Amino acid sequence: MSEDNPQVTVTSERLQRVIQALSFASVDEFEQCLNLLQESEEQDEFRELETAFTIFVQELAEAKQRETRARLRAEAANRELEAKLETIEMQQAAIRELSTPIIEVWTGVLCLPVVGVVDSQRSAEMTETLLETIVAKQARTAIVDITGIDVMDTKTADHFIKMARAVRLLGAECVISGINPGIAQTLTHIGVDLTGVRTMRNLRDALQFHLRETEQLASHVKKEHF
Amino acid sequence: MTFERRDTTVTRVPPRVRSYAVLKREDAVVLAPQARRLALQFGLGAKRSAEIAIVVSELATNIAKHGIRGEITLILDDDAPPRGEMTVIARDIGPPIRDLEMATTDGYDDRGPIDPSLLLSRGGLGTGLGAVLRLSDRFEYHELEEGKEIRARFFR
Repeated sequence: MSEDNPQVTVTSERLQRVIQALSFASVDEFEQCLNLLQESEEQDEFRELETAFTIFVQELAEAKQRETRARLRAEAANRELEAKLETIEMQQAAIRELSTPIIEVWTGVLCLPVVGVVDSQRSAEMTETLLETIVAKQARTAIVDITGIDVMDTKTADHFIKMARAVRLLGAECVISGINPGIAQTLTHIGVDLTGVRTMRNLRDALQFHLRETEQLASHVKKEHF
Repeated sequence: MTFERRDTTVTRVPPRVRSYAVLKREDAVVLAPQARRLALQFGLGAKRSAEIAIVVSELATNIAKHGIRGEITLILDDDAPPRGEMTVIARDIGPPIRDLEMATTDGYDDRGPIDPSLLLSRGGLGTGLGAVLRLSDRFEYHELEEGKEIRARFFR
């Protein structure tokens, strides 16, 4: 029987070493595990088992390492994606802010430079923001500069003129500057009543006009005092 | 008897199609200049291209406002008779427009006149679809299995 099926005798110490080695492997302590597996110097059949374990653990360690690297890469990519999403959110917020930039260029003088594409909703938003800002800042003049706009729908153009009237109702002056030939044609074509709406060739003229007016006002006040 | 088959059809360049998802108002702000650039490249004039930008902006804004989910598709077709055509399609899965004629009337939505005092709080002038109708060469409305689409066509 022993001829067909030879027995292998192993010291309990060696067996314990293998068991301990495997338990190290189970908690990812591959280096210590491999050290233990390579400790014995006997060249018997049990040695082959130890070698098999060694190869197995080495491969396991490599696989683990690959997995860790992949996970770290995925995490980094994820972080990058999140950062990008945050950037997009920030840019969207910036777009929202920029759609109606109202600048107080002088005390009591607001300037609304309109650039880009003006649709009906944007023009409604502009009106709302402009009127609110005029009240909040107690502005006397609002300059709406539309140099950056080449085309407007007739109704939107009509609404711009209405916005100018609404500004006057609040007791402020509204100047529209930089009307280009196309929009001028649109406005006259639809027959908008332009009385009481001041228009200026460009932003510079509009500002100069306002300054002259305030100077006149100031000298007038002085004369009354003396 | 054999027939010799001769191909007499002129090879047709397939139209270029680009779709963009629309979820937020900001998407309209980004899409409009993009449509203008494409229109200019396509050979439409500066004024027409700017008008297309307005149409895209109105349609995208509408989707962001009313539609649950939607997209804008731009089709550039060089071979559409007679000289090529650019189409703007706005699709969304929102409810259909009840009364198209009313909806395209300025100051009206598909249910009737919009209360002027509510216009601003509703975030618009109620002239969006009217603008699309005015600025495009052809305006089409189709109800889909799920949702609806508006097509604005511009001839080159």
